[in-house]
Amino acid sequence: MIDTMQSANVANAERFERVGISATAQTASQTRDEFAAWLRQFFALDPIRTSDLVLAINEALANCAEFAYLERPGTGTMDVLAWHDAAESTITVLVSDRGSWRPPVVPTIRTRGRGIPLMEALSDRASIEPSDHGTRVRLEWTDVARAVLGTQSAH
Amino acid sequence: MDEQREATADDATPTSGSTCVVSESSVDEVAIVAASGVIDMLTAPQLEEALRAALDKKPASLVVDLTEVEFLASAGMGVLVAAHEEAGEITRLCVVAEGPATSRPLKLVGIADIVPLFATLEEAIASLRG
Repeated sequence: MIDTMQSANVANAERFERVGISATAQTASQTRDEFAAWLRQFFALDPIRTSDLVLAINEALANCAEFAYLERPGTGTMDVLAWHDAAESTITVLVSDRGSWRPPVVPTIRTRGRGIPLMEALSDRASIEPSDHGTRVRLEWTDVARAVLGTQSAH
Repeated sequence: MDEQREATADDATPTSGSTCVVSESSVDEVAIVAASGVIDMLTAPQLEEALRAALDKKPASLVVDLTEVEFLASAGMGVLVAAHEEAGEITRLCVVAEGPATSRPLKLVGIADIVPLFATLEEAIASLRG
C-alpha cells in the first residue's frame, strides 16, 4: 500500500530516521526492532550496550505512545532521529512528539513511571525537553565505534 | 484494538513484532509463570493476566520465570511490581532473570531491591523451600 509509506525512512551508516510515524504501541515496537537491526548492522556494540540502547529507545517511544497525545482525540505522530558521530564516537538519539506528557511526567504510583529512570540509567546522557510544540527526548552514548566492514556481528 | 496480535502484520521484516508466550506450571507446590519472547507495552497485559490468575489461587509461592525473555520494557517491570504487591503476605513471589535484557534493567531501576531476583529457576525454588 503506497499510502502507508512513511515520509522518511532512512537507515544507513550515519543515521536512522523515522519521521511522522504514528504514536502507537505497535509502531513503537516495530521501530524499536528496526533500530535494533540498525545498531547490529552498523556498529560494534557488545550485547549489554546494544540491549541498553534498544531499551532506552523503547522507553522514549513508549512514553510518546502512552502519554503524548492523551488530551487529543485520535493518534498523533512521533519522530525518531539517531545519528553516529564518527569523530566523537557517539550515538545521539532524538525522539520527539508534538503532544505534551501530562504533568507530572513521572507518575508517582510504584508500578508505573520507570521509563525515565531507565532512560537515564541506560544512556550516558539523557534529557527531556518539553516545549510549546511537544516533548523531545535526547539520549546519548559515547565510545561507540562503527563496525568494521565484514566483521559486524551476525544477526 | 487488538494490540496483542497482528502488531506488525503489514511489515515484512522478520525481526519485527512483539510476541510473548506465557505458560503456567508448578513444581512441588511452587507455582511458576514462565514467559518467553518480548514483554513490552503490547504484551505486558498477557503477563499481567497470567500473574493475576496464578495469584487468585493463593499459592504459597510463585516464581515468575523470565529466563526465556529476550526483551523486557518498563511496562513489564510495572507488572512485576504490581504482582509482588498483590501477592502481599499470602504468596511469596520472586523473579528469575539473567542477562543484559532482563536482570540488568531490573537491577538498574531498583526493582531487584523490591522483588527477590534469582539467576536460575533452581535457585529460586531452593530459596522458596529454605
